[in-house]
Amino acid sequence: MKRIVILVIASVLAVSCNDFLDMQPTRSANASQAIGTPDDAQVALNGIMRSLTGASLYGRNLMLYGDVRGGDLTIYSAGRGLDGLYSFNHSATSNSFGGFWSEGFFVLMQVNNLIENIRSLQDEGKTGFNQHLGMALTVRAMLTFDLVRLYGRPYTQDPTALGIPDVRRTLSAEETLGRVTVGENYAAILDDLREGESLLAADKAQKKGYPGYYANLALQARVSLFMADYDTALSRAKAVIAGPFTLYEPANWCASWAQQWGSESIFELGVDSEADLTTSSLGYYYMCYHFAGLTTAMGWFLASDYFLNRLGEDPDDVRWGVMGIDESVEKGESLNRQGACYKYVGGAPALGDGKETRTAVNIKLIRLSEMYLIAAEAALNAKTPDAQAAAGYLNEIRRRSPNLAPATAATVSDDMILDERSKELFGEGHRFFDQIRRGRSIEFNDDFQDVPVSGRQKVITPDYQRNILPIPQSEIHANPVIAKQQNPGY
Amino acid sequence: MKRLLLTVALATEGILCLAQNPTKTLADTLSLDEVFVVAYGTAKKSSYSGSASVVRSEVLQGVPAASFEGALGGRVAGLQVTTPSGQAGSMPQMRIRGIGSMNASNEPLYVIDGVPVNSGDGGQMSDYTYSTNNLLNNLNPDDIESISVLKDAAASSLYGSRAANGVILITTKTGKEGRPTVRLNMSVGITPSWATRNYEAAGVQEQVNMLYTVFHDYAVTGQGKSEADANVAALNRLNSKFNKHGYQFSTTETGAYAPVTISEYDHSGREGRYFDWDDAYFRTAVYQTYDLSVSGGQNGTTYYASLSYTDDQGRLRMNAFNRYSGRVNVNQRIGKLFELGTNVTVSRTSRSGYNDSRNTGSNLFMQTRNLLWGLYWPTDYKTGEEWTARYGSYAQNALYYDHEWDNQATTLRTAITETAQLHLLPSLNIKSIFSYDHTTSAESLYYGANHFNGSSVNGRIHEFRTLYAKMVSSTTVDWHWSHEGHGLALLAGFEAEKNTTDFTRSTGENLPTSTLHTVGTAGTLSANGYSWGNSMVSILSKADYNWEERYFLSASWRRDGSSRLSPDTRWGNFWSVSGAWRLNRESFLENVGWLNNLRLRASYGINGTLPSDDYGYMNLMSYGNAYMGNPGSEVVSPVNNSLTWESNHTLNLGLDFGFWGNRLRGTVEYYNRVSENLLQDVPISQITGFSSTLRNLGRIRNSGIEVELGGDIIRTGNLLWDATANISFLSSRVTDLYNGADIIWYDPTGSDDRAQFIYREGESPLAFYGYEWAGVDPQNGKTVWYTNNDNAPFTFNGRNASYDYRDADEVVIGNAVPFATGGLSTTLRWNGFDFGAHFLFKLGGKLYDGAYKDVADDGYYWERIRAQSYYDDMWTPTHTDGTQPALSGMDLEDSMQYSTRHLHNATFLRLKNLSLGYTLPRALTRRVCIQRARVYTTASNLFTLSSYHEADPEVNAFGTRGWETPLGKSFVFGIELQF
Repeated sequence: MKRIVILVIASVLAVSCNDFLDMQPTRSANASQAIGTPDDAQVALNGIMRSLTGASLYGRNLMLYGDVRGGDLTIYSAGRGLDGLYSFNHSATSNSFGGFWSEGFFVLMQVNNLIENIRSLQDEGKTGFNQHLGMALTVRAMLTFDLVRLYGRPYTQDPTALGIPDVRRTLSAEETLGRVTVGENYAAILDDLREGESLLAADKAQKKGYPGYYANLALQARVSLFMADYDTALSRAKAVIAGPFTLYEPANWCASWAQQWGSESIFELGVDSEADLTTSSLGYYYMCYHFAGLTTAMGWFLASDYFLNRLGEDPDDVRWGVMGIDESVEKGESLNRQGACYKYVGGAPALGDGKETRTAVNIKLIRLSEMYLIAAEAALNAKTPDAQAAAGYLNEIRRRSPNLAPATAATVSDDMILDERSKELFGEGHRFFDQIRRGRSIEFNDDFQDVPVSGRQKVITPDYQRNILPIPQSEIHANPVIAKQQNPGY
Repeated sequence: MKRLLLTVALATEGILCLAQNPTKTLADTLSLDEVFVVAYGTAKKSSYSGSASVVRSEVLQGVPAASFEGALGGRVAGLQVTTPSGQAGSMPQMRIRGIGSMNASNEPLYVIDGVPVNSGDGGQMSDYTYSTNNLLNNLNPDDIESISVLKDAAASSLYGSRAANGVILITTKTGKEGRPTVRLNMSVGITPSWATRNYEAAGVQEQVNMLYTVFHDYAVTGQGKSEADANVAALNRLNSKFNKHGYQFSTTETGAYAPVTISEYDHSGREGRYFDWDDAYFRTAVYQTYDLSVSGGQNGTTYYASLSYTDDQGRLRMNAFNRYSGRVNVNQRIGKLFELGTNVTVSRTSRSGYNDSRNTGSNLFMQTRNLLWGLYWPTDYKTGEEWTARYGSYAQNALYYDHEWDNQATTLRTAITETAQLHLLPSLNIKSIFSYDHTTSAESLYYGANHFNGSSVNGRIHEFRTLYAKMVSSTTVDWHWSHEGHGLALLAGFEAEKNTTDFTRSTGENLPTSTLHTVGTAGTLSANGYSWGNSMVSILSKADYNWEERYFLSASWRRDGSSRLSPDTRWGNFWSVSGAWRLNRESFLENVGWLNNLRLRASYGINGTLPSDDYGYMNLMSYGNAYMGNPGSEVVSPVNNSLTWESNHTLNLGLDFGFWGNRLRGTVEYYNRVSENLLQDVPISQITGFSSTLRNLGRIRNSGIEVELGGDIIRTGNLLWDATANISFLSSRVTDLYNGADIIWYDPTGSDDRAQFIYREGESPLAFYGYEWAGVDPQNGKTVWYTNNDNAPFTFNGRNASYDYRDADEVVIGNAVPFATGGLSTTLRWNGFDFGAHFLFKLGGKLYDGAYKDVADDGYYWERIRAQSYYDDMWTPTHTDGTQPALSGMDLEDSMQYSTRHLHNATFLRLKNLSLGYTLPRALTRRVCIQRARVYTTASNLFTLSSYHEADPEVNAFGTRGWETPLGKSFVFGIELQF
């Protein structure tokens, strides 16, 4: 009798045990079954786009990198944060800015996961994924391009130098890839962009918050410019210019920073209150110290004298409208130095771009203005240079300085175009890369407040070793292949 | 059984401290037949073959701590208790027999009255305020009858896959039949100061001189200026930093070490006056506790009921803890066969804390040592208004901002345990326990619109609710039999447990007023919420056999299935075998009069540790990544189907002895604990998208010897003096790693990466890793590094050395596992007076000071202050035998490197508690119906001896010190009344 009871109890237990022990999370799902429909792919793509808005990527640091190191910015005081970007005192073990590496490859893994899932669903005959795949490929190209610019020598300097690992598939935990050359990275970027272009071509409408067809073309123009392939750059830039986007009129330029999805926005990342970086947002990093009584605004970065002089060529330049006074004082009086920048808080009124907080501001990653400037530079440097066309493209942007004489076929020059890029794209992550791709030295405004700088001289040459970042020590420790490929000088 | 326990409770076992009843002699109570609580039952000390120590409630008395854990330090051989933070209500760390896990928990399993309970850090707010909230604070220490610490496999394997780190069994008080006993304990304490020095800052004059030197050096070395120009530049820098605080600076010489004259600026009236931030931020903390309990019983009913209130302030103004707690334990016999027990406890704790990590804006302790100049004032000298701007050093004026924020964690725990027992036969007993434990943690964190954390959104408030529900059902059958000297006891059981945690957060931003701190008033709302959980099903069994109470054999087996592992790997077997031999029962020793106990024990067995992540085996796609109001997903963890529990193989050999009527008694134990299949967070190439993956690969071996000794030194009529001591020697080695590859990791405390460790085969599991600091070059004051490789820009003390740490290789620089730890206690009783002292000590091992780098920074131009010890010891051209590097303006990163510069000998001896009590003569108190009245005073952390002088040597379980609030020196006055 007792034995029977025990048997019954035991069998009941055996059945219920497996249910009892099946505990599932409520915020996550099994990744292998998570993408099955175009809607699922959209959700995964949303996740990717959100990750791009993080502080390590386009939400802040990746944008700051191109400006802080490019001579157009300086610092008022050390120790406020991220001054390593300015002082170049990075090493593999400290101030490595390893977030670029870890976050970059984390997002690339997400993109690869999405691409692989879509491709296998397509192999099963499922359809409706072309836009998602095209956007994923475009994101992969853009991130790879930005990472190879951080870790590899400029393409125009040495395409055979080491770039970053070629990661166009998901990797198993044990895999340890080495770096490939900068040239190979650029080839992969172009492959992705071209495949993306053909997939996206079916729907050319502006995609708010996602990289659509024209974002893809614009990236092709940007990448080609960085390869000094001026003819391709020109053709892609022209294709974008011919598209549905229009330049802001000079009178509207300032107000455009308080708008989402403006007429120039070819690719804009959406930042709402969930993604808002608040006091550590890009907007905060460019504000004046203690702007509007905000004690958390530390005045991290402000325009250098060189930039202010450049923009000062025309005191009526409309682009002064996003600048504001910085903390410079003499004998207790403000010097009225217009070193603070309000592009990322909705322009100088700093009221944001229509969301709850002034810092929840979309990041404008690619604007039509840049395409005109690429077209100008590319036309001037094409195999058959066309100075007339170059001047024409440049003048469309130069109209924003009403007192400056328009460029002509005789006066247009690389210097003029690069100066215009500096004025127009200030704070948008370009200056440093532009200077070194064109083999120009960069001078820093260290004498502004005499802040000690340890990692570089006042002027750096384009081949300075520290112009590229060290591979973070954690990667060196975990990856024996890359351990042998650390950048020189680290 | 419960009755039996109570008689036991009045006894005092060898390792115990103050006995409650001084009229009883110790010899009466030191029975070898003492019964104590073990896994799923009780055992007699004399017949138990496992390794377990018992601590009675008396040691918890008069110790001003929110939870019982802190009082266990130095009481049990092999149990190391560390208190990382001196904040009221924060969480101690417990380690039984070393560290057996790299990735999963190293904390023991806590079992209260037969039911495993939630422990650890409760709620979610610690992610925001960086201070811990110990869930076990909900247990009123005064309700505890006894604590058993289970150490070896024989003692703990019945708890299976959670027992590898040992088990702490807590038994709460019960009543006994007879007249009711009412107890009232009241105590009040103060903590007027810290227990030790803590990075005392140099004076204002010294600070100014040092910053001047830094600026001067930058101008000369960095910019190639002349001495005179550098002097001007440095004074300009100082003036521009401190003019706004009403000071200006001048020198009569131009050198780098010229003394700087500080004078008032702009008629500020601050000449010669500096603000004392220490005094402004720290207070004399007050502690008070009141316990009232009634116990008794008749006609088959016994009861214990208690009510208690505790209030514990931290020395920093934002930190306080209080607890209301009530408990009813009732036991009812129904007829001859049935017995029903109900334990109900309700307790509410409330705690506010502040950032304990290395944070310039919100860690006030760090600010007083590193950031707050005496030149800063909380008011503006020009306007007299409160200073609200961030100071140049990045400190904030908390005297202003502490009115602009608050935080509160309120935890309400309700636990009901029903125990039904059926005494079917005299030898057969069926016992069923069902327990429901519901803990709600309600937390709020408010930053007003004026606060620097709330200003960007015009005020922000977070409210968190975390609901922990725990259901445990356990049924055991035990049967015992004896015949002609043979004794046999069998136990079999089934157990199921389910834990769920529900979490919601609501956040409100843009608050209309600073007086209402609720989400409901906010202009912008956001929320988050999800739940997680785990479950376990187990069968368990045990057999004990003895022959003539002379030879003992035991075996246990448990099978656990856990939801934390994949269906393929989730079931595991855990077992132990043990034996004991009571030698003094043998004929050849029976007549040795002075020997009353001699026993040999041996055990071997396997238990385990589960992964800490509920879903660690799954390849998860998480949905917390919304984009522009649309849901977003991301892959958050790589798949790991083979994940399994860690297993722990422990061999234990023990010898128990008692001589001269147990006047000298003790235990010596040897153990070898091999922890295998350790979960390793194996660092992987980040190119994969992840930085690490979990693998069951590592192996750690802990072996050691533990000695517990107790003796009655004087035992005359009214003078009793006893002393006990325990010491544990521990040797820990990592023996196997994934592919033999090193793993570099960082102390997770406070997420500030304060110390760097390496797991390397053959090294300790707490091996510090970093550069070897050679000291200071007496020629120029520069930091010298031993390169530990072929790089040799020069040699120093005959070894390859460099001024640049980048030339050097990192090496294993020390071991945080001490050679030995232990405690010493002594009690003296005379005519109603009782005196007790309890010492805690640690011998050998290193501690890593992760905070000194901030207060002894030689090369940074940050407007921060430095320690007096750095000022005294730094190299200068006139002090060339200085042991700390010269100041430099060149933004050196030397002091920030993990190196032997911050490594110290961890040996210390601390007088943890000193108590003096007096029990009023009974004849006197009886007249006012008081059975017993005792007044006492206790002092905690009264003195500390150590070779490390900078701060408190009682460091955390990782052997590191950071910017946590230090421990205080406390004095408690109390009265105990029993009616």
